[in-house]
Amino acid sequence: MTMVKHGNFKTCAQSGFCARNRAYADLATSQASSWNPPYSLAPESIVFKNGQLEGTILKRVGVGGEMVRLPLVVTFLESGTARVTIDEEKRQKGDIELRHGSKARKERYNEAASWAIVGGLEVSVTAAVNKQTEKGATRVLYGPSNKFEAVIRHHPFSMEFNRDGQTQVMFGDRGLLNMEHWRPKIEKKEVEGEEKADDTKATEDEGTWWEESFGGNTDSKPRGPESVALDISFPGYEHVFGIPEHATSLSLKETRGGSGNYEEPYRLYNADVFEYEVNSPMTLYGSIPFMQAHRKDSTVGVFWLNGAETWIDVVKSRSSPNPLALGVEAAVTTQTHWISESGQLDVFVFLGPSPMDVSKAYGELTGYTQLPQHFAIAYHQCRWNYVSVEDVKDVDRKFDKHKIPYDIIWLDIEYTDGKKYFTWDPLTFGDPLSMQKQLTKNERKLVAIIDPHIKNEGGYRVVDELKSKDLAVKNKEGNIFEGWCWPGSSYWVDCFNPAAREWWKSLFRYDNWKGATSNMFIWNDMNEPSVFNGPETTMPKDNLHHGNWEHRDVHNIYGLTYHNATHHALIERKKGEVQRPFVLTRAFFAGSQRVGAMWTGDNEAKWEHLAQAFPMILANGIAGYPFAGADVGGFFGNPEKDLLTRWYQAGAFYPFFRGHAHIDTRRREPYLMGEPYTSIVTQALRLRYQLLPAWYTAFHEASVMGAPILRPHYYEFPGDERGFALDDQFFVGSTGLLAKPVVTEGADKVDIYIPDEENYYDYFDYTKYSGAGTKSIRAPLEKIPLLMRGGHIIPRRDRPRRSSGLMKWDPFTLVIVLNKAGNAEGTLYLDDGESFDYQAGAFIHRRFVFSQTSSSLVSENLAEAAGAKTAAYLKKMKKVRVEKIIIIGVGGEWVGRRVASIDEEGKQRKAKVAYHRSAGGKTAWAVIRDPGVAIGNSWKIELA
Amino acid sequence: MRKLNTFLLIGTAVGSVIVAESTGPRGVGPEFAKFYKSDGTFTCISNPSHHINFSQINDDYCDCPDGSDEPGTSACAHLSALSPSSPEERSPLALPGFYCNNKGHRPGYIPFTYVNDGVCDYDLCCDGSDEWESAGGIVCENKCKEIGKEWRKQDEQRKKALRSGQKARKELVRQSSRLRKEIEDGIGVLQIEIRTLELKVGDQERQLADVERSEKARLVKGPAKGGRISVLANLAKGRIEELRTALIDVRSQRDTALERVQELEAILYKFQEEYNPNFNDEGVKRAVRSWEEFVVRKNANPDVDRAAQDRDLDEISKPDDKENGIRWEEWEGEELGDTDVLYKFEEYLPKPLRTWIDNKLRDLRVFMVQNGLLADAHHSSTSDSKAVTQAREALDAARNDVNSRKSQLTNHQEDLTKDYGVDDVFRALKGQCFSKDSGEYIYELCWLGGVTQKPKKGGANTGLGNFVSIDKIFVDDEIPSDGKGLGSGDHVALRYEGGNHCWNGPSRSTLVVLGCAEKDEIWKVMEQEKCVYRMEVGTPAVCDSADEEKPRGKDEL
Repeated sequence: MTMVKHGNFKTCAQSGFCARNRAYADLATSQASSWNPPYSLAPESIVFKNGQLEGTILKRVGVGGEMVRLPLVVTFLESGTARVTIDEEKRQKGDIELRHGSKARKERYNEAASWAIVGGLEVSVTAAVNKQTEKGATRVLYGPSNKFEAVIRHHPFSMEFNRDGQTQVMFGDRGLLNMEHWRPKIEKKEVEGEEKADDTKATEDEGTWWEESFGGNTDSKPRGPESVALDISFPGYEHVFGIPEHATSLSLKETRGGSGNYEEPYRLYNADVFEYEVNSPMTLYGSIPFMQAHRKDSTVGVFWLNGAETWIDVVKSRSSPNPLALGVEAAVTTQTHWISESGQLDVFVFLGPSPMDVSKAYGELTGYTQLPQHFAIAYHQCRWNYVSVEDVKDVDRKFDKHKIPYDIIWLDIEYTDGKKYFTWDPLTFGDPLSMQKQLTKNERKLVAIIDPHIKNEGGYRVVDELKSKDLAVKNKEGNIFEGWCWPGSSYWVDCFNPAAREWWKSLFRYDNWKGATSNMFIWNDMNEPSVFNGPETTMPKDNLHHGNWEHRDVHNIYGLTYHNATHHALIERKKGEVQRPFVLTRAFFAGSQRVGAMWTGDNEAKWEHLAQAFPMILANGIAGYPFAGADVGGFFGNPEKDLLTRWYQAGAFYPFFRGHAHIDTRRREPYLMGEPYTSIVTQALRLRYQLLPAWYTAFHEASVMGAPILRPHYYEFPGDERGFALDDQFFVGSTGLLAKPVVTEGADKVDIYIPDEENYYDYFDYTKYSGAGTKSIRAPLEKIPLLMRGGHIIPRRDRPRRSSGLMKWDPFTLVIVLNKAGNAEGTLYLDDGESFDYQAGAFIHRRFVFSQTSSSLVSENLAEAAGAKTAAYLKKMKKVRVEKIIIIGVGGEWVGRRVASIDEEGKQRKAKVAYHRSAGGKTAWAVIRDPGVAIGNSWKIELA
Repeated sequence: MRKLNTFLLIGTAVGSVIVAESTGPRGVGPEFAKFYKSDGTFTCISNPSHHINFSQINDDYCDCPDGSDEPGTSACAHLSALSPSSPEERSPLALPGFYCNNKGHRPGYIPFTYVNDGVCDYDLCCDGSDEWESAGGIVCENKCKEIGKEWRKQDEQRKKALRSGQKARKELVRQSSRLRKEIEDGIGVLQIEIRTLELKVGDQERQLADVERSEKARLVKGPAKGGRISVLANLAKGRIEELRTALIDVRSQRDTALERVQELEAILYKFQEEYNPNFNDEGVKRAVRSWEEFVVRKNANPDVDRAAQDRDLDEISKPDDKENGIRWEEWEGEELGDTDVLYKFEEYLPKPLRTWIDNKLRDLRVFMVQNGLLADAHHSSTSDSKAVTQAREALDAARNDVNSRKSQLTNHQEDLTKDYGVDDVFRALKGQCFSKDSGEYIYELCWLGGVTQKPKKGGANTGLGNFVSIDKIFVDDEIPSDGKGLGSGDHVALRYEGGNHCWNGPSRSTLVVLGCAEKDEIWKVMEQEKCVYRMEVGTPAVCDSADEEKPRGKDEL
């Protein structure tokens, strides 16, 4: 198998603005303390009013004292988040000239927020200027109890963000702020001889200011150089995380060379990277310019809201603390350098102090994960391609025959008639309804792919409408842009255009797309956008979108606009038939979590790709987009049976769990693997299904508070420094499940790290592990290393069914894992899994508390108040009961317990209790037999 | 525990359908009813040490490690090696599933995982008894009457088809054995012929020896004049004949090569047109570029006029006779004893041959010199006389006859040892072809020949493999209602391999799996993975008489 073609993608040196800003950083570093940044905040311009500070930054250019005016706005939000925006006055006013007669807009792009931000912008009413301010600075107190402070230094312009008197985040402390202002192109006169020396120009290489060529494509760059860049430092923070999507470790590496470090910055430029490699800062399919920094007991974050090509350098300095940083002892400081090609400078600062606080605040702005359709968190069976209706039906039958659960079968591009979306191949998929009918019988679903490229073929209704309604992306001349993708010559729908989104909706209506039913959902691929013959396999940057914004400005947002349009199209495909959409995307941006799941693109059937998936999914999770997964088995190539087996065991812990394969690979559905592999894989799948109540509860937490679904150690144990960089083991939601699936070849044991002194128990055999540190767990092929942390209650449904939809009426099992004090607690969220009725109260949300002192288990209602649909839903769920309670790690007092007393809504009854003594390292456990309590009721179970 | 729904007992038992009344608790099949005699306690079937209260049977809680306390619910469905492991005691399930009475149709077991899951699994449980709890409000009406009726109708058709398939197979077997007999007879005839011909060869050998002896005697009297020229002429004639044959061979090789080039060019044109630039694969791009350059070069230097060349070659390739080529008779008995004649040789040649032969002639000369023919002009060797030649030719002819019969005999003998399947049945079918229109393509299968995919939109046929062997494979499918499917069990499968090569992959192959049918018919063609095909084919050739008695699997209806 060949590797990624590096030559197809730019390095920083090949990307003019990146090279210029790196050179600028090198110049500043080389001049050290004599570096005099040209940016000053004019003190007389500063106005603080209603939680917002405004002023003008003056950029000194040339020797004549010429100044470029850059309006600054610092907004202090009610949530405790600060937002810093810098624009360019001349461009705001449209007082510039574009080259090549370009039709592009003159402003710096100012609509990224309208895509990424959906809330949390309420301005603080309590933020106030700190009267105790030294000269040359303005201090603003804000945040909870005004414990946060922003220090705005006037010359050179820089900022510090303090919490509890300690500096957490610094802007511009290295003097790398750079806003390349608009300038006319001056054709050089050769006769004039030497250019007049002036110290700014002497350092500037104009070679990349104007037209830039790469791989045979020339970018006309009608506005010339216009990059925005800023250095952001985290004093005392050794670890930074986030800025997906990169195939790298969770804790980001340094990017300016050195042993084990990268030479290139992390790049964010959504691209269809063919056969990407692991352990690389190269760009991939999606971009979330959000970063967290973490040190012992403190987490902070920054969100660089920019949709253009962006590069981020990371270096860590071990030198003495920055004199400006208050109260920070000598420690590692992480310095980052953010460089975007165009747009405003727009940065949000989150001061934590916990990782959950940062996630919540980021989620308030960009939105939380959409509460998915319940089926969407079950197992998805995909392949490029199931070749016909018969093939799909056959795979469906074979899963049943082998008693392997699955929920969704997928159709890749070959189902269409000649790659024309919204059509069916008349020969192979001539009868899509019979296929969906068979799937629907067992509550299964179909997902079909719909990509943004529309085939340019006469007589194709969709392309005819796209053209006649003028809804496609345009080239730099303002004519429809034509490029190549799967269908050959194609056009791209421009979902920045509201009219395009309305039109897109119409295409999904059942009366327009014959053969689609309410049990069919959508997969959006190639939305980076992938353009086979374009520069870096995407669109030319001087293409024009709705409102005449250049593609350059919005490139990383395009995928979100398309995904978003599909999401909205699916909500109501027929009047009155409203349901939650499910749309998978490959390209994404901050905010994409609101509109569906993502996957990590075209990975390979190799062990290193299996190992790479968890760090990538964890990074996505902390960047607010936890509904993530990798192709189980690896997209390219044929996995060995061991690898495929381990991949299913790992996949059972992907929030988005889908098996997928390239068209050139051999078939690999689990039932084809043979024994013992098929049975082992079935166990892994059934484990996922058994734990679906816990997974759904974790998704619910993500949907209301932005909590990651797979949680890295630093989220759960922010004070345990040994866990900060761990990215091969993780916790599942708040369940206390600690998993470390095997991702290496030939392993028969794993070393799992236990962060605290609590008791941990093997999920499958109740072997007890206690004491912080590394424990060795035997892990032959059939075993998934999975521990339960003491103190949690895990909801399960143990009855194997053909699909998750068929588990709807099944009883629950509660697994109570006692902590050292003999207590445990857990939650369960449940609703119909498909409609929006939960918004009207049609859900069950319980907290289960087991108390040692009262020897009782209580179910409490977490729903704040009943809604219009609460009663009806509870009635529907009345017969759904708890069939079994397993208590793990029980003490001697349980030996004689025979009976539990149940009090449910005023009615009393008894249930039998059975005790199982400990044996050979396995803890003692007990079972309460069929307490029969309804899952939606409040009740109490006491042990004598 | 509820009683069995009474409507189960309604409905008519028809014909041969066996109706087994369950007398035990819900979900218990008649063969297990004996374990469920109520005497207050119940003993788990495979775990006799476990005794539970009889009221715990079917209370939707799993008590027995073998699940035998929950014959009528899904409470023990998790007791399986396919479920995540747990410290709870587990034995293999004691019961095959939930027993559906299916009065009016055939009773059967449905997996416990299907019980009370909110789906009416009529294909297994036509009486709807699997959904007795009405999970989520589902009501599964008893449909055994209509399903049973439909099934019996189809079963009758299947049986009919099977019977006529069996009949057809008998006919095939008869044909095969006749064909076999013919071959065996043929072998006998050939053996006799060979013996006869071998005798003839002996005669011819003797004759030749006689003639040679008498010729030698004649030669003693005086060597014939011009003998050397005769020798030369004979040698040249042989050599020319050899060259002519070689030319024909080379020409046909050239034609094959040209065809291949054309095929390759077609592939490359298609490749150039259809390759996916998405992958930005430098290798592919380079290949496309080189191909484009090749096309340019090729167009600049068009191929030589092949028609003209072919006309020349046609001329050259004609055997020598009065009109064409060299008149060898003129050379026989030629008086000139001079080697010079050889240098005038060209003058005797027809024009088109002359230029071409010029080079060859040089080779011939070299050959002759090497064999001492040109250098040693005064050697006393003599040529064979006409009589000797005739005798030798007769001998050769006789020998050829023997050899060709011997090879026929070997073929026949080998054919008899070849695998033509049980009862030699495919012998009768060999070479017969039939096809199926699958929309985009027509698929053709030739018994023990090849599998071909013919695009309907035009373009070249694709070979999906040539017959290699007869095999047996296990298939676990359900038979669709039209009967055109394999079902569960061992099936005869024909392997076809070495079809057209796949781009970037193996050569195409097809596994042809056979099921019993009245007549030859391709049921289904699937490309299971790239370039690996599977064909399901109905044919009387595999309608064993045993099929009729074969019991149906529990989940086949």
